[in-house]
Amino acid sequence: MSVTSIFFQTLIGGIGIGSLYALVALGYSMTFRSMGLVNFAQGSIYMVGTYFGIIWYQGMVMNLHVPYAVAFLIGLLCNALLGIVLERIFRPLAKLDLMLMLLATIGLGFILDNLFTIIFGATGFAVDSPLPNTPWNIFGVRVLPQMALLIGVSFALMIGNQLFLSKTKWGRAMRASAMDFEIARAMGIPTNRMNALALSIGCMMSAAAGILAAPIVYVSPSMGVAVGLKGFAAAILGGLGSVPGAIAGGLVYGVLEALSAGYISSTWTQAIAYIVMVVVLMVKPSGIVGEITVEKV
Amino acid sequence: MKKITRILRWILILAVACLMLVLPWIAQNRYQVHIVNNIGIWLLLSLGLNIAMGYAGQYNLALGALWGVGAYTAALLQTRLGVPFWINLPLSIIAAVIIAAFVGLPSFKVRSHYLALVTIALGEAMNLVLVNETPITGGADGIGHIQMPNLFGFPINNDERYYYIILIMVILGYVVGRQIVGHRIGRAFRALRDDFQAARAMGVNTGFYQILAFAISGAYAGAAGALYAQLNTYISPDIFTFNSALIVLTMILVGGMGSLPGSVVGTVLLLVLNEYLQVFQRWQLVGYGIAIIVVVLFLPGGVVELARKFESFRQRWLAGLTKGKSDAEAG
Repeated sequence: MSVTSIFFQTLIGGIGIGSLYALVALGYSMTFRSMGLVNFAQGSIYMVGTYFGIIWYQGMVMNLHVPYAVAFLIGLLCNALLGIVLERIFRPLAKLDLMLMLLATIGLGFILDNLFTIIFGATGFAVDSPLPNTPWNIFGVRVLPQMALLIGVSFALMIGNQLFLSKTKWGRAMRASAMDFEIARAMGIPTNRMNALALSIGCMMSAAAGILAAPIVYVSPSMGVAVGLKGFAAAILGGLGSVPGAIAGGLVYGVLEALSAGYISSTWTQAIAYIVMVVVLMVKPSGIVGEITVEKV
Repeated sequence: MKKITRILRWILILAVACLMLVLPWIAQNRYQVHIVNNIGIWLLLSLGLNIAMGYAGQYNLALGALWGVGAYTAALLQTRLGVPFWINLPLSIIAAVIIAAFVGLPSFKVRSHYLALVTIALGEAMNLVLVNETPITGGADGIGHIQMPNLFGFPINNDERYYYIILIMVILGYVVGRQIVGHRIGRAFRALRDDFQAARAMGVNTGFYQILAFAISGAYAGAAGALYAQLNTYISPDIFTFNSALIVLTMILVGGMGSLPGSVVGTVLLLVLNEYLQVFQRWQLVGYGIAIIVVVLFLPGGVVELARKFESFRQRWLAGLTKGKSDAEAG
């Protein structure tokens, strides 16, 4: 393999894992911009969404082997409902101090993680890809079909979300209620319902990321811990509360991780990613995109 | 009346002191003493974090890694160079203070969520150094064969004897902590926490006190680390992570943020409960999560808040009673 094809190979891997982080980061950002709340249970929500979808596909419920696309939709739907429930739980939290908020959402994640460990056991399982396992060869760069699916669907979802927010009436109402809660309410927008919708979308994105990545990664009740932390890092990297920022942050973080694994040292990948994050925060705390995000008091 | 309460208070303090002194003898087995020792180590961590976070508002979530710095310094000095306990303890504290001061540097530039994230990232990066620098730190296997201390020819070679060292350190930590928060430094910390701009405008050297807050929590973590390494005689990097910082954070939030007795109450409560609830296995952890949410929603000041509420209720009740009496006299 030539030097350039190795580079592109690494880049594709980075974009793949980056789009996973971007979807999880979107969950953080949607929650933060609508309710002014950092939801540290996002990693657990990602895990829960994965299970909601994959158990149908793997035939773990009544031996039903539903098609992958249907399982995907079931997972998204279940997590959307979870988002609506979460909005109700988070409503009193949004007024609290940052540390209390952080702790309560971590407590929630703790509950979800352990409930799923009780139900499904601590050991995880591998998931078969619905697509063939032989990699495609595109100009000397080998791409797994599942990786291509992950990247393609993630981008479609992100673009769809952006269009929804900017073009539709509901999307505009959501942005209005994120920008100024009280004025939006005075204008007759049901702000609590808008928050529920924002949380639902965030949870759906996380479920989508989990179900798409399940055949590549390993499914277990502890799968959300690292992804949750990295998704948060990605959201902050892009600018917490900004939707394009979350996407950019996720992709940058993923590519950074892949490049440092490929070119510097795979044992130091994590440490390098953390240090770069610290440096970016120090130099430009508003994130890469630098959008002025909502300040909720 | 006031005199009686003062005497009662002294009796209570004396009783607690006696109980603490004879604790290893009244314990039913060595395991219980071990648990008490463990509580002491976590107490040091939670006192340190409460000073940095509860008083000064500096989110030091690299605490787990700083604890590791203390433990590894003591362990390496002890196993490689044979440095005795009473020298490696202060050296571990110094090492953790220096690293903590560096961890605190980003606080000049970032605050709140961002500072929390930066310290988490720095802590995890430090933990990765412990995991990856195998030639020095022993990698994921950690360091074994650490010797328990030997103080001037008197071997501290079991949990009962070690208990007294931990007791001295915890009492020292508590007294020093009280001095710090009651001193000028404590006032500067509170000013920093409540209104950063105003503190600066009033001439508080904010940068110095921010670093000081980090350094103090580092000192407690360093002491806890050195004690931990020599109590367990074996250390590995998996405990010195963000998770440990979170456990300590939970302790001080349950007990009471910005209150040293709160730290004590929270730590003892959670660790003792942890022992009793072990039969429920995983359900215990689910209950733990629910308990956190309940405390946050209904008792944001922690358990100490409950005591404070009770005290104000009692005072109002007493005042009401005397008022009723004077009314009766007037009538």
